[in-house]
Amino acid sequence: MRMINVEFIMESIPSLIGAIPVTLLMAFAAAAAGWILGLAIALVRKSRVPVISQVCAVFVSFMRGVPLIILLYIAYYALPITISGYFASIGREIDINAVPAVAYAIMALVLDQAAYSSEIFRAALMAVDEGQMEACYSVGMTKSQALIRIVLPQAMAIALPNLGGLFLGLVKGTSLAYYVGVYEITATANLLAMPALNFIEAYVMTTVIYEIISFIFNKLFRGCENRLKRFREGASAA
Amino acid sequence: MGHTYDFASVPGYIPKIMKAFPVTMEILLLSLLFGLLIGAVVTVGSLSKRKAVNALAKGYISFMRGIPTLQLIFLLYLGLPQVMQGIGVDMSGVSKVAYIIACLSLSTSANMAEMMRASYLAIDKGQREAAYSVGMKGFTAFRRIIFPQAFGVAIPSLGNNIIMLFKETSLAFTVGVIDILGKARAISAASYGTNKLEVYIATGLIFWVICFILENLSRAFERAYTKGRKKAAS
Repeated sequence: MRMINVEFIMESIPSLIGAIPVTLLMAFAAAAAGWILGLAIALVRKSRVPVISQVCAVFVSFMRGVPLIILLYIAYYALPITISGYFASIGREIDINAVPAVAYAIMALVLDQAAYSSEIFRAALMAVDEGQMEACYSVGMTKSQALIRIVLPQAMAIALPNLGGLFLGLVKGTSLAYYVGVYEITATANLLAMPALNFIEAYVMTTVIYEIISFIFNKLFRGCENRLKRFREGASAA
Repeated sequence: MGHTYDFASVPGYIPKIMKAFPVTMEILLLSLLFGLLIGAVVTVGSLSKRKAVNALAKGYISFMRGIPTLQLIFLLYLGLPQVMQGIGVDMSGVSKVAYIIACLSLSTSANMAEMMRASYLAIDKGQREAAYSVGMKGFTAFRRIIFPQAFGVAIPSLGNNIIMLFKETSLAFTVGVIDILGKARAISAASYGTNKLEVYIATGLIFWVICFILENLSRAFERAYTKGRKKAAS
C-alpha cells in the first residue's frame, strides 16, 4: 500500500536526464538529413524529372502509409544484412554487430522525415507565386540562382510552421526507437521502473520531460515564425 | 548473419496477418468515435469565453500534443492500475483493447478538437447573423447553417486524422493486443524470428494499401460533399 516512491524518483532523475541527449540526437540527425532529402525530393517532383519523380512519389506514398514502428522494424532487420552483404560483395568483412541500434533508428527516421517534409516543401514551393520565377528570368538570373536566392527563401518561410509541427511529431516518434533497442528516454524509464514496478513514477517523469521538450521547441519555432513574418509584411501587400 | 531472406514469401503472409484486421478495425472505429466525442467537448471549451474553461481546454490540447502516444499507453496501462490499487480500486478486469482504445481516443481527441475549432472559425460570422435574421435560434443555426459548412471545411483534415489514427493503432501490440502488427509478431515468433523481415514488409504493405484506400475515400467524399457548394474558406 504505497502511493508514490519519492526515493525512486530522486534516484532515477539523473539517468532519465542522461537519456535526453539520445532522444535529441535522433531527432536532430533525422531532421537535418531528412529535411535536406525532403527538399531534394520536392525539387525533383516539382521539376518533373522523368522516372526519378515517379519513384519519389511512390517512396513518399509508402513512407506516409506505413506506421513508423514498422519502418523502424524493417530498417532494424533489413539494414544489417544489406550492409554486410554490400561489404561482402566488395570483398571486405565488417563486424555488423558493432553498429549501434541508434544508427538504424536514425536511418528509419531520416526516411520518414524525408517523405513528410517533401510534402511540406512541395506545397511551400507551389505557394510561391509563379511571377517570382518569371521576374528572376527577366533580370537574367539562371534557374538555380532564382531558386536559391528568390524562391527558396520565400518557400522556407511558408514551410516553417509545418516543419515545426513535423519536428514535434518527430521528437514524439523517437520514443518508438525503444522497440529496436535504443536506450532513449522511454526505454530508460522502462528499465528503471521494471525491478520494483515503479511505473507511475517513471512515466510521470518521462511525460514531464517530453512536455518540456515540446514546450521549448514550440516556443523556438514560434519565435522563428514571428521573426520571419517581419520580412513578409512588405511582400504580402504587393 | 548468414540468414538469407526470401522475399517471394512476403505475399503469403498477408492473408495470415489480415486475420487480425477486425481487431484493428474495432480499435480504429471505437477510438474514432470516442475521439470525436471528446474532441467536440474540448472544442466547445476552447471556444468558450470563460477564461478558466478556455485555459483548461487549451491546456488539454497542448498536453496531448506534447506526449508521445507510447508514453500515454504506458502511463495508462502500467501506471494507472498502480495508482488505482493505491486507493483500493482493482483494474485487472479491464481488457487490453479497452486501454488501447482509451489511449488512442485521448491522443486523437486533441487533433480532432483543433480540426473542429479551425473549421468552425473558418465559417464567416455573417452566416450566423443571417441565420439569426431569418429567425433561427442558436442551436438551429448551428445545426442547419454552420455545421454543414464547417463539416465541408473539415473533411480533408478529418481524413488525415483518421489515417494518422489508423497508423497509431499499430501501437496496440505494445500491450499485447493481437492487432495486425501483433499478429505479424506472433507469426514471426512462431517460426523463431527467422522470417521477421518478410513479415514486417508484408505488414507494411497492408498498412500502405489501407492508407491509400482511406486517402482516396476521403478525397472522393470531399468531392461529393462540396459539389455544388461554395467554398466556405475563401
